[in-house]
Amino acid sequence: MSLDLSAQRAPQDIIVTASALSKGFGDHQVVSNLSFSVARGRAYGLLGPNGSGKTTTLRLLTGLLTPDQGEVTLFGESVSANNADRLRGRIGVQTDTSLYDSLNARENLRIWGALYGVRPKALAGRVDQVLDVLGLSARADSLVGEFSKGMKQKLAIGRAILHQPELLFLDEPTAGLDPEASADLIEYLKQMIRSLNTTVIICTHQLHGLETLCDDIGIIRSGELLSTGAVDELLRRRWPEHRYTLTVGGDLARAAQVVTSSIGRTPETSSAGALAFSTPDKARVPELVTALVAERIPVQAIAPVTPTIEQYYFATLNEEVL
Amino acid sequence: MIDWQRVWAVMRKDWLEVVRNKQLLTSLAIVPLVFAVLIPSAVVLLGGSGILTSTTGEWQGFLDNLPSGIVPAGYTADQTIIYTVIVFVLAPFFLIIPVMTASITASSSFVGEKERKTIEGLLYTPLTNRELVLAKVLGSVIPAVFLTWAAFILYATIVNLLGGPAMGGVFFPTWTWAVLVVVLVPLVGFLATSLIVAVSGRSSTMQGAQGAAMFIVFPILALIVSQATGLMLFDVPVALIAAAALVIIDLATFFFVVARFHRERIVTRL
Repeated sequence: MSLDLSAQRAPQDIIVTASALSKGFGDHQVVSNLSFSVARGRAYGLLGPNGSGKTTTLRLLTGLLTPDQGEVTLFGESVSANNADRLRGRIGVQTDTSLYDSLNARENLRIWGALYGVRPKALAGRVDQVLDVLGLSARADSLVGEFSKGMKQKLAIGRAILHQPELLFLDEPTAGLDPEASADLIEYLKQMIRSLNTTVIICTHQLHGLETLCDDIGIIRSGELLSTGAVDELLRRRWPEHRYTLTVGGDLARAAQVVTSSIGRTPETSSAGALAFSTPDKARVPELVTALVAERIPVQAIAPVTPTIEQYYFATLNEEVL
Repeated sequence: MIDWQRVWAVMRKDWLEVVRNKQLLTSLAIVPLVFAVLIPSAVVLLGGSGILTSTTGEWQGFLDNLPSGIVPAGYTADQTIIYTVIVFVLAPFFLIIPVMTASITASSSFVGEKERKTIEGLLYTPLTNRELVLAKVLGSVIPAVFLTWAAFILYATIVNLLGGPAMGGVFFPTWTWAVLVVVLVPLVGFLATSLIVAVSGRSSTMQGAQGAAMFIVFPILALIVSQATGLMLFDVPVALIAAAALVIIDLATFFFVVARFHRERIVTRL
């Protein structure tokens, strides 16, 4: 199954296009016929288990590897050996293995700024700004070898965003981060996308918190893209009905009867003592509440249940297995 | 078109890493100390004590083959031997210093990046292959050249200080030495480093790179260094012509190394 909903956008907005990409090493096919596109200012999550071909895809998209078949287009230009270096100047890439342990955080950033053409006069200020945003100012002059995994991860991202790239590739950006640091990082990336209109491609298998960051996703396994498109669209297609949980103060069985008669579906009872139901029509929910109140059943809470990327990911992988 | 800001950034990074690696610094310091301090001190002191001249018979064959007029007139047998050893015999060692020091830093910086996988980060930047190879070569050659020049100043000071009384005053350096140190040392260093980078492009560990350098690069350089020794016996213009030839060899080697630099091969072997 392969849905490419982002392809419906106007072509001038598209920053990255992978067209029928294939890459193998010896007898091992790592990426097969992979196609997707990412529009300006969107965050695309390339999701897949370890060994699924995410890093190879990243290397193909950045011109580090040449595809056996297919084409990569960045900023409207077909990537080749002749223009890959120039195009990389507009890109930032974070990987987990590219920091220099014997240099301090400030030195690591300064070198990268110089490599991306940040003018010396502007560089010091920009480095301080990035360190401040990432909460690393106090450790600016500490050797990176003394940093925790999380701090290194932040610094690697800082290095990738230092020159304010138009396109940012993040390879497992939240790996090794505690939940709080991971949430902070996702929040920062969201702000950056909003304020600078940066396009982001995130390769990861860590799915928590991606709903608030990714506009589009692609699910890859064994080098094949199983599904790709806008998150909202994909979730709506898979789960077309609106889902809710209902918590009541009175008799749960009576409440379930009211739900059944009002919505036309029999609700499920969750382990937390709430009722879960789905409906194709949102407008029926206020009617349900009115019906419950009329039956003198106290409504404590009624909340929509939004399916997550994580649920979609596992549902897609399981479907493909079946 | 080379972006020198990018080249400088990589060189500066390499130098910072070298400066903070005490083990590497020690290795770098040992070679010039041996060639610039220990050996010339021994030669001058032994020459003055008559030990060297006691082996005059063994030196005579060498002295007989020297072009006429190459040793200043009026020197005694002791003075001639000291002059010959200091000016001619030890000359090739000053070409070995940049080769050895550059081989240490080149294998540390380039293969070290592969070993630590930091090379992938550099490959994602806008650095061109030419800029990256140039930065790695110059990053090793420049310190090697400065180290050799420092060793040369030390060498000149020691041989004049210790040998001055026996030689009747300042007798070193000569013009041919000036060509050797100023022109040949950087050129030989550049060639050595380019070859090491070429060889190390196929190695994934420092030991592998140093082994490859030992068996492939050093024999080639030994040939060049031995030829350079012969140049010391000729006059300055001949040495300059040889240096010009070395410039062509350096450029050809550099462009060959750049052409053989494949990012795909590097990242897929990390």
